[in-house]
Amino acid sequence: MIGTAHQIVLPVVLPLLAAFLLPLVGRLHVWPARLLGQIVGVLHLAVVAYLWTLVGGGETIVSALGGFAPPLGIVLYADRLSVLFLLVLSVGILLFWPRREHGGTRADTLTLLLLGGGSGLVLSGDLFNIFVFYEIVAVASYGLAASGGNAAGFGAALRYLLLSALGSALALLGIALVYGAAGTLNLADLSVLAPERLSGPMGLAAFLLLVLGFGVKAELFPVNTWVPEVYTAAPTRVTAILAGVVSKLSMVVILRLLVLIFADPGAQTLLLVLGLAGVIAGELAAFRAPDLNRTFAFSSIAQLGLVAVAFSIPDDLGIAAGIAVAVHHAVVKPGLFVIAGHWTGPIERLGGAARVSRPAAIAFVLLSLSIIGIPPFPGFWVKLLLLGEAFAAVDPVYALAGAVILAATVVEAAYLFRAAALMWEPPEGDNRPPAAFPLARLAPTLVLTLLILLAMGAVSPLGEALEAMAAEVGDAAIYVGNVLPGRI
Amino acid sequence: MSLLDLLLLLSLLTTLYLYAFGNHRNAGHLGMVVYAVATGLVIAMAGPLADGTGAVGSTFAPVMLGHVLSWSMDGLGWFFALLTTGAAFFASWYMSGEWNAEQPNKRIQHGTLALNVFCMLLLLSSGDLLSLFIGWEFVSWAAFLMMTQLGSHAARAAFRYMLYALAGAMAVFAAILIVKAQIGSFAFADLRAAVPALSDGLKWLLFGLFGLGFGVKMAIVPFHLWQAPAYSFTPGASSAFLNAVSARMGLFAILLVLGKLIGFATLSDLALPLIPMDAKTLLMWVAAITMVVPTFIALMQTDARMLLTWHGIGQGGYMLLGVLVATPLGTAAGLMHVLNYASYQMALVLAVFAVIHRTGTADLDELGGLIKRMPFTYLALLMGIIGLAGLPPMNGFVSKWMIYKSLLDTQQPLLLIAAFVGTLGTILSVYKLIHNIFLGQLRAEHQKVGEAPGSMLAPMLILAGIGFATGFFPGLALGVVDVAQAALGVELLPHGLGGVYLATGSLNMIWVVGIMIGAIGFGAFVFYVIGNRRYGVHQFDNYAGGHFLSADIRYHFSHEFYPGLARLIGPWYRGSVVNMENGLMIGLKTAGDLWHGAFRIAYTPFYLLVALAIGLWWAGLDGGF
Repeated sequence: MIGTAHQIVLPVVLPLLAAFLLPLVGRLHVWPARLLGQIVGVLHLAVVAYLWTLVGGGETIVSALGGFAPPLGIVLYADRLSVLFLLVLSVGILLFWPRREHGGTRADTLTLLLLGGGSGLVLSGDLFNIFVFYEIVAVASYGLAASGGNAAGFGAALRYLLLSALGSALALLGIALVYGAAGTLNLADLSVLAPERLSGPMGLAAFLLLVLGFGVKAELFPVNTWVPEVYTAAPTRVTAILAGVVSKLSMVVILRLLVLIFADPGAQTLLLVLGLAGVIAGELAAFRAPDLNRTFAFSSIAQLGLVAVAFSIPDDLGIAAGIAVAVHHAVVKPGLFVIAGHWTGPIERLGGAARVSRPAAIAFVLLSLSIIGIPPFPGFWVKLLLLGEAFAAVDPVYALAGAVILAATVVEAAYLFRAAALMWEPPEGDNRPPAAFPLARLAPTLVLTLLILLAMGAVSPLGEALEAMAAEVGDAAIYVGNVLPGRI
Repeated sequence: MSLLDLLLLLSLLTTLYLYAFGNHRNAGHLGMVVYAVATGLVIAMAGPLADGTGAVGSTFAPVMLGHVLSWSMDGLGWFFALLTTGAAFFASWYMSGEWNAEQPNKRIQHGTLALNVFCMLLLLSSGDLLSLFIGWEFVSWAAFLMMTQLGSHAARAAFRYMLYALAGAMAVFAAILIVKAQIGSFAFADLRAAVPALSDGLKWLLFGLFGLGFGVKMAIVPFHLWQAPAYSFTPGASSAFLNAVSARMGLFAILLVLGKLIGFATLSDLALPLIPMDAKTLLMWVAAITMVVPTFIALMQTDARMLLTWHGIGQGGYMLLGVLVATPLGTAAGLMHVLNYASYQMALVLAVFAVIHRTGTADLDELGGLIKRMPFTYLALLMGIIGLAGLPPMNGFVSKWMIYKSLLDTQQPLLLIAAFVGTLGTILSVYKLIHNIFLGQLRAEHQKVGEAPGSMLAPMLILAGIGFATGFFPGLALGVVDVAQAALGVELLPHGLGGVYLATGSLNMIWVVGIMIGAIGFGAFVFYVIGNRRYGVHQFDNYAGGHFLSADIRYHFSHEFYPGLARLIGPWYRGSVVNMENGLMIGLKTAGDLWHGAFRIAYTPFYLLVALAIGLWWAGLDGGF
């Protein structure tokens, strides 16, 4: 099913093109450049929405660029999973578009670069392009992380760059191993060859390298040490995008690799161990985090650990659970980061926050309840899906993982509600209450909270859609059949 | 639309309305009307439930992620629902008059009460394990909201409660997920049918997880630390409501899951290795310890609210012990104790809050002599403590007698002794309560204190009256108990209006109370009519060894009550459980600090190296490169 639908390249090309044009236009005047960026952002969303109408029913679009047939040509692959995350990316970036105060067009350019690179990352059908787009995303995110213009931001961004470069080198090494063993980088092609050429320790080693490499952005243990520093030092909107969206894109890549190429128990166990380590480390560190920004940074690590645990369950429903956790987190966490970005400083100073800004405090509580997984919030159904799968898995190690996740939930509730409870207390001693929240700044949080509340009413249809999506994603034969119709 | 739909809808609408308009001065009266109607609806449901197999279903059955959530109320849930709506009625009454006028946060008080009632009704009518868990979480968080309303002290206690409750909930969650994984269904009937085929290990696991999860809400030892402060620092009628009903949700869930679905008989077959004890006996001993230890902790309290709430924990132990005996008498005793306890404990807590309302303190060192100032509050408290201590003529005596008798009948002398020891502690401490508040000499600063207003007196006196009436005619309460007992599948206890009829010995309270009243009447006649009435004793007279002393110094012995006993039992409760809790918290903080400190970007190369080395070694394990 090599599609003729070349709209699939638009989400990649449009923002990249705009990103290169923007500085030029910006030289003439700033405002047309900014307008151009925003128009492209909206267009991107429109294209993605249109793509959803094409793939929403279970169809797939495969586009061989330049007309070269795979496995030689470059392939873009759009199924419901990739378009869903395009949607998350697009909405996330629009919601957190750079504001005027960031000055010039630099932030806009980088954001467009991130948009284009991220789109390419989820659409790419071969390892080489995945790596290229991953690097584009990485470069854009270094720039964005430093765009706050303060020393802490520059320092954090530099260290992030070093770590990320190290990760990229590992990923490249992994890709080299794969290429050496299989002689191709096309995912579909690899999927066919993998059982024969990548099944042994070599394959597992390649997977380890790839996971550690791509895991830098996916905040996977142990390459996530940049997270607390960058999320604290970077501007709030960048933190929201990195934690909410970019991390998920890397997880999608890891999922594709796991399903298509490394579908063996060794790789699953590896991902499970890394994910579980992330859950434990993230929740415990968040418990002792001094401020909200760090709290959410660590909690974000734990949530991505959950995604990894879910993906490691060898079952389509595990994938469904992983996608659910990822999307839920992508909706909730940016909203929380907005609050953290305004109410900075030690958690102990949150006293009186509810009196200063009730909507922010209430949104904080609602989003926290959902992330802990309290019924009837969507987070509960997400956890039910995930834990139900963990306890039902054949391998008892998953039940153990489920128990760890349940215990971690209590810790999670402890740190989230310690902060929430403080907000309703009067300020301690002579402390002044935190700054009032301008409604315009809180707007993204309110939108996301509303989204969560609306999702409460649509749990079942969402769940069904997820399961259908997971069944499609989890079946490597479908992917191969679509890209290389002759090989299956 | 079924009766259950109507009940839940009414309750939900009340919650929404009171949250929005609870500041209105008639909010309390509205609550009374609604809870009276709700109680009426619950009573109207009794018909089809009486034979033990019927249930009133709800037409609301949403499908969530492929699971059909169902709600339907059987006799067991009905019993607790009656308790819930009834308690809410009296709580709302208490909050309707002067109390309502003076509270700054009445909207929250009325709103959270309604919310708690709604969540409890939802839990009590859950029709499968998943809706049970959802109801369980709702109830926990609703209670948290109710406890946390006053901030500071209360908020800290509520926070601690929330952690305990959530840990318990996670245990329950794990248990229902294991059930789902094993038998492929959340349905009650499927679990019940599958239990015999489950392995012993799995049964132990389910027993442990469910027992822990539900036990936390009942505050069974060692998960009891949260309850007393959390209930005590909740304002007024809300505290009374929590005391009377909230912890009972744990008992309901234990009865439903461990008693009805898994079955106490199954638990008796689960033997412990090495020691001659089975799962059920283990739980009975936990109940016994819960009966004794918190009661003696209560004895040492200097805050009247804390004293009562600590007793509440101990009383929960009696109920659990009773139902675990699992004979018709034991089950009826445990269930009846639920009702009885609710009546006198609510009266007691409301009376103490009436004292706080008038004097501003519940500190037992700062009160005394209020009997002349608040005589009706005194009466309510007196009747309440007689019930709490389990003495005739109040209803507490009947259920406790039945518990003793059931232990005697099933030949469990050690547990019987534990029950007696618990009662002894109760008698000692309730004397402290009434003595320190009402007896002795009035303090100068309370000279102008007046009686509590009618809106507060009426509910507590009626509750105390119910305690007396069901003590005089236990048959009234036992009829209600029958419905729950039938639903549990336990044979019904033969009873009449006056008490229980058993081959091994019956109890007829009409005789007991009749003779008591006669004897007291005779005594009163001797003292007041025949006796010498010339020497009236004034409240401010001081005596020592029978000799009159100067009356210029007011003197009331209340500080450090029972010093000898305190020295005796002091070393026993040096807080090993408190230490355990602290240790757990410190461990968690240390682990948190370790991980928090480990997130230094400079360490990454090292982590990466380790991860790579281990990963590659592990990857190479099966075959080598």
